[in-house]
Amino acid sequence: MQLRYVFSELGQGLRRNLSMHLAVILTLFVSLTLVGLGVLFHLQAEKAGEHWGSQLQIQVSLCTAEDNNPACVSEVTDAQRDAITAVIDENPEAAGWDLETKEEAFEKVKELYGAEKFEGDNAVLTVEDMPQSLWVELKDPEEYDGVVSAVGGLDGVSVVRDMRRYIEPIIGSINMLQWVSIATAAFLVIAALLLVANTIRLAAFARRKEIGIMRLVGASTLYIALPFLLEALVTALIGVLLATGALAAFMYFGIEQRGQDKLKFIPWIGFEQYGVAVLLVAVLGPLLTVLPTLVLTRKYLKV
Amino acid sequence: MIRFEKVTKTYPGHAHAALDQVSVDVDKGEFVFLVGSSGSGKSTFLRLVLREYRPTSGRVYVAGKEINRLASWKVPRLRRDIGTVFQDFRLLGNKTVSENVAFALQVIGKSRSDIDKLVPETLEMVGLTGKGDRLPDELSGGEQQRVAIARAFVNRPKILIADEPTGNLDPTTSVGIMKLLDRINRTGTTVVMATHDAGIVDQMRKRVIELENGRVMRDQAQGVYGTSN
Repeated sequence: MQLRYVFSELGQGLRRNLSMHLAVILTLFVSLTLVGLGVLFHLQAEKAGEHWGSQLQIQVSLCTAEDNNPACVSEVTDAQRDAITAVIDENPEAAGWDLETKEEAFEKVKELYGAEKFEGDNAVLTVEDMPQSLWVELKDPEEYDGVVSAVGGLDGVSVVRDMRRYIEPIIGSINMLQWVSIATAAFLVIAALLLVANTIRLAAFARRKEIGIMRLVGASTLYIALPFLLEALVTALIGVLLATGALAAFMYFGIEQRGQDKLKFIPWIGFEQYGVAVLLVAVLGPLLTVLPTLVLTRKYLKV
Repeated sequence: MIRFEKVTKTYPGHAHAALDQVSVDVDKGEFVFLVGSSGSGKSTFLRLVLREYRPTSGRVYVAGKEINRLASWKVPRLRRDIGTVFQDFRLLGNKTVSENVAFALQVIGKSRSDIDKLVPETLEMVGLTGKGDRLPDELSGGEQQRVAIARAFVNRPKILIADEPTGNLDPTTSVGIMKLLDRINRTGTTVVMATHDAGIVDQMRKRVIELENGRVMRDQAQGVYGTSN
């Protein structure tokens, strides 16, 4: 098949309908980016849930000298701590435990809220204000009542915290972001489809004379539709490239620079999840333009 | 080459049939005039040959194929056997004469070398040697119609359909066009020409099929435009 004509038509078509193609590209770009973000949020929620679900831990904060809890008379003693860990070791629900020292706890707080507040004479908190904690790992994330009640009343225990109470709102917000992006994307996808349809109608009208002649001399339907399909493919590819770039920017500025820096306790998505999102966008983009083009060229270029 | 068997064509929303029980047989190599007033069914007849429409009832055979049964994807193949010429030339204004003729070959996938051979050959045949680089606007009406004929004939179709090809031309120029169509006919191409031009029909003395209200009123070998009585 002689494709010279097809490619010269493609260039002409793209130039002739430039504003329309730009509209398609921009709409596609934004909607694909939102779809990609939706996917990333989904994977983030999944990853966070997986992480905290599989290694769900219960934090047993031990008494400090200045503890607000009336059950705490003084800083926890080594003997009390050993007694607590012995109880945990014996408990069938617990898989093991880790000690978080006052220094480690202090570092975490500094990371979360910024180091400046915790230095110098006017420090909000000092190392001494921080409790030691025992992070109890569970055999089954759903079975934790036994540990909580066994440890709860022991001397030297200030508070027993179930981490899921803190994590669920985070996962909840991520989930909400996911649905907001996907719902917005859905509207934009409809707009993109309508724009594609309009573009084809305009292009078919602009080229009606050529198309009429092609039909008369017996050009195949595919040959007649090819410039339209290639136009659709080119706009889709540009849209996909832009969306890929925008998602990369989100990964870099949103996750690597901010998230991973400020919220270290969350397990963040990485390159692998970005790849999944890009793959989906790369498949969806061409589908969104090529499918309506196939349908509509059949309608407008009927033999 | 073209055979209509009791063909009726009714358009949706129209009470009267555009063609009503038309049976016509056109042999290979014939030259046929299709005459009749506007709305008599000439255009419908030609469009059925081109398989732009299917008949409402009856059968149409073109170049050995029954077009009722022809699958849509095979229609382009059928049309490569048919050249078409119109009253309004339908040339592409942004392409030169040669490009206009070559276009018909390009879009059906002919090779560069075929195109380079066939286009000048055909331009010579229609009497446009040396004008290949002109744009259609730079040519006279008669010359533009020659370009259109060249485009229709460049693929050496079995059938040439001409819908009022002299409708926009003065009598002298029309004669030239008719001579050209006659030459094409003598290469073995079947020519079906719809026309209102009585002078041309009377002069050519070819077969005349007269349609009126969708029916064949007259089918006369070596006929004239008006009824002879």
